[in-house]
Amino acid sequence: MKKRTRLEVIRDMLGILRENKQVKITHLIYKANLSNNSIKIYLKDLLENKMIEEVVEKDRRFFKILSKGNEFLEEFNKIKVFSDSFGL
Amino acid sequence: MLLNFSIGRYYGLDSIIEVLMILVSFVISYYSNRVYKLVKEKNYRLFSFAFLAIGISFIFKILSNLTILHRVNVQVANFVFVVFHEFEFMETVNFISLILYKSFHLIGFLILFLLVTKTEKKEKIFLFFYLGLITILFSVYFDFVFHLTLIFILASLTFHFFENYTQKRNLNTFLVFIAFSLILTGHFFFIIESINPLFYLAAEIITLIGFLSLLINQIKLKNEKTNKIGSNQRYVRNTKRK
Repeated sequence: MKKRTRLEVIRDMLGILRENKQVKITHLIYKANLSNNSIKIYLKDLLENKMIEEVVEKDRRFFKILSKGNEFLEEFNKIKVFSDSFGL
Repeated sequence: MLLNFSIGRYYGLDSIIEVLMILVSFVISYYSNRVYKLVKEKNYRLFSFAFLAIGISFIFKILSNLTILHRVNVQVANFVFVVFHEFEFMETVNFISLILYKSFHLIGFLILFLLVTKTEKKEKIFLFFYLGLITILFSVYFDFVFHLTLIFILASLTFHFFENYTQKRNLNTFLVFIAFSLILTGHFFFIIESINPLFYLAAEIITLIGFLSLLINQIKLKNEKTNKIGSNQRYVRNTKRK
């Protein structure tokens, strides 16, 4: 199977978060098909870019998609074509 | 002080062409910056800077077209002395606008080159910019040096975009490849413009077609469908099944 690009992994993670109200990190690892180490890097980036937010409820950590994350999903196809056309 | 303005060569056709190329460059720069704001990936910001620099370079090119009647060739080794002590105001404007055009143009394409070759070592980047500076200085005396350097950079870029096209085989990658091939060809014509002034016009038109090809790519991009809710979820499910 072809290796996913960084943009595709972000698209998958945000897609999972959009389909579900709140997602635990373990579910995200399973659904996005990522390793424990790599998901931490992606989550850090997404949190820094304010695409997602972390919610703590009863000592459990959840992740929620924010409007910027939704905007990315809407624009994903365009960004992908732009990125591919210049080989960025 | 003599203030003679020209609309540019060929009744200002070159200036009009450059205005169009400014618009295309700024559209690409704006979009890349938008993507950068969304994904915060350094590549997109640099890409945006590159096209911004190319767009700015054409503004200075237009300024040099407007003051072309005051163009003076420098033949003395110490050009700084000549420019500040012997040049009239308008001659200085023409000289500086031409230098700025070359600088911004070279910086723009150099950033693109460093981006696609994924050059990240600071020493290499510093060396490339130093060689760029040397090119600008030499081009004061020999204009072809500037175009020749750009030909090398553009040849490398064209090769990269050709490889990108062979890997992806779609219209967008083809348009980008064609665009850079045409910009490269344009600079070949700029080198031989002294043989026949018509080559200058040919160079401008070929370069414009190149930039228009990039514009078509951007328009195609704008018409690309946006992701509907759930489509990515289906993708995740499908990849899981595999």
